[in-house]
Amino acid sequence: MELELRNISVTLSNKKILKFINLKVEDGEFISLLGASGCGKSTLLKTIAGLIDQDEGSVVLGGNIIDKTPAHKRRTVIVFQDLRLFPHMTVAENISFPLKMLGIDKNGRRKEAINLLGKVKLKGYEDMHVDKMSGGQIQRVALARALAAKPMVLLLDESFSSLDINLRKDMQELVLELQREYKITTILVTHDQEEALTMSNRIAFMHNGQIEQYDTPENIFKKPINTIVADYFSKGTYVHGKIINNKFISRLFSSNVDRETGKYKCLIRPSAIKINKFKNGEYIVAEKIYQGDSYLLKLNNTDSNLKLESVVPDFTAIIEGDRVNIELDKDKLIFIPEKQACS
Amino acid sequence: MKNFKSNRLLNIFLYISLLIISVPIVILLLWTFTARWPWPNLLPKTYSFRAIKEVFAPHAKLFQTLFSSMLLSLAVAILSVIIGTMTARALTLYDFVGKELIALLSIAPNLVPGTVFAMGIHIVFIHMALADTVLGVITVHLIYTLPYSVSIMRDLTQSIGGRLEMQAYVLGASPFKSFIYITLPLLVPGIKTSIGMAYIISSGQYFITLLIGGGKVKTFSVLMVPFIAKGDRALGSAYALIFMMSTLLILIITDRVTKKLPYQNDGGKYRWNWN
Repeated sequence: MELELRNISVTLSNKKILKFINLKVEDGEFISLLGASGCGKSTLLKTIAGLIDQDEGSVVLGGNIIDKTPAHKRRTVIVFQDLRLFPHMTVAENISFPLKMLGIDKNGRRKEAINLLGKVKLKGYEDMHVDKMSGGQIQRVALARALAAKPMVLLLDESFSSLDINLRKDMQELVLELQREYKITTILVTHDQEEALTMSNRIAFMHNGQIEQYDTPENIFKKPINTIVADYFSKGTYVHGKIINNKFISRLFSSNVDRETGKYKCLIRPSAIKINKFKNGEYIVAEKIYQGDSYLLKLNNTDSNLKLESVVPDFTAIIEGDRVNIELDKDKLIFIPEKQACS
Repeated sequence: MKNFKSNRLLNIFLYISLLIISVPIVILLLWTFTARWPWPNLLPKTYSFRAIKEVFAPHAKLFQTLFSSMLLSLAVAILSVIIGTMTARALTLYDFVGKELIALLSIAPNLVPGTVFAMGIHIVFIHMALADTVLGVITVHLIYTLPYSVSIMRDLTQSIGGRLEMQAYVLGASPFKSFIYITLPLLVPGIKTSIGMAYIISSGQYFITLLIGGGKVKTFSVLMVPFIAKGDRALGSAYALIFMMSTLLILIITDRVTKKLPYQNDGGKYRWNWN
């Protein structure tokens, strides 16, 4: 179901946590709320679910304003970070609980619970007690229980953050599989940019209680609106310059760009720099840091104090102290207008 | 090896505890049937059924007093656990003005000496026409039992918190159903303890019951204590045994009733409760 947030503001303990949030999620869309801890992501999720009242604005679900609808009637189900399985119930009782609240008879509940357990690949676990389960299994039960509530909007509050990397990948795949099967409008709260980039149709980047940018993963990564968004995905070096007649001019380089005239900052991420070993090269390799399947090279310009970083494959012959020349991949350069550089 | 040793130690403690509980009961049992027990005999010299006959004699009105006493203390225990649970919930899950004061007041009756407290409350109850009434006795017993109930339920409510109810809420349960299906089953151990504690405290009140009840409200303690004070050990022991059994009966009933609540652990095996 389509969800729209109109001008939502929330104050908690006299502190403004959310500031005029506007967001529209299409029916069946998967979006992520991405941002650092404390930026208001979870508060926004709880506001959507009706657990926190907004000071201003409206939550619109399927075209209807649901500000006065209590949380238990909204069908906006949260899977919390700590999962919150009911400790006094078996796996099937946990999954059946929302079905019971929907008024489904006991045979129907049992049947649906077993069906959902199959969907989350936990067939045969129905009569197991939850304290006997592993972290990954608990995640799956929490997901099955949320699906049992037949949510209009599924809200995932950093649900995978407690899992190790392999289990997290498995859960991400499972969630996407089920989200597509059930076509549920889903909002994932995460601080993990990779999770947001790989799972979402769109990402809403939050900072300091506001949405800085709401765009597709590709656009938000390649065309960040300001330095806050840009830095969150990948740090790099900023070079100041001007764009005049579709040409960026700086002390380091010039490049043709299809942008309006004005002052800009050009972000050079490590992935935008290719290096060539050269005896009289302009840069010296100050540090070489192992990163698994690649190395991060820290480069110092020999004539100025300009510092750049580059990523090279792990079989590179370049060592610390080598002199190199750089080549910029102009498609990977990011231009941010100075006036928006840090909103 | 370590486990074996710690198990052995636990068993020793278990047997010591069992001994501490059972020895006084055996002594009470012996005294109930004792006619003469001169010092330094280890066992009574002569036995008799005098105490039993007197306790069950029609003029003693044992069953009438026992029944009304049990009912009164049970009412106190149930009210105490309800008020205690709600107070604990308010103190734990909500923020409001005067929260700390209410938390302090909830344990105040235990801070003031009982006699001083009783005299003060007697005057107030006379003004409120609650003296010499069952309601007055229930109210005054509640004042004594509530600090224990609040304390037990507060600790448990704190450990459960509001997180699970919040989850139930977003899964479609109303606040009332969230409490009934999620928090209440988890509170059952505390409810049982609280009822037991409040019942024992209430049924054991002699002075305050006599003062506020004015002799008109007869409880088992009011009936029993004069015999103990008089030094009739056989009769006192007989009454004490009956008192103990009645308390045990209430604890068993409480246990059975709470097992009927939804989602209760049935002998270690969690069962389906579809209703």
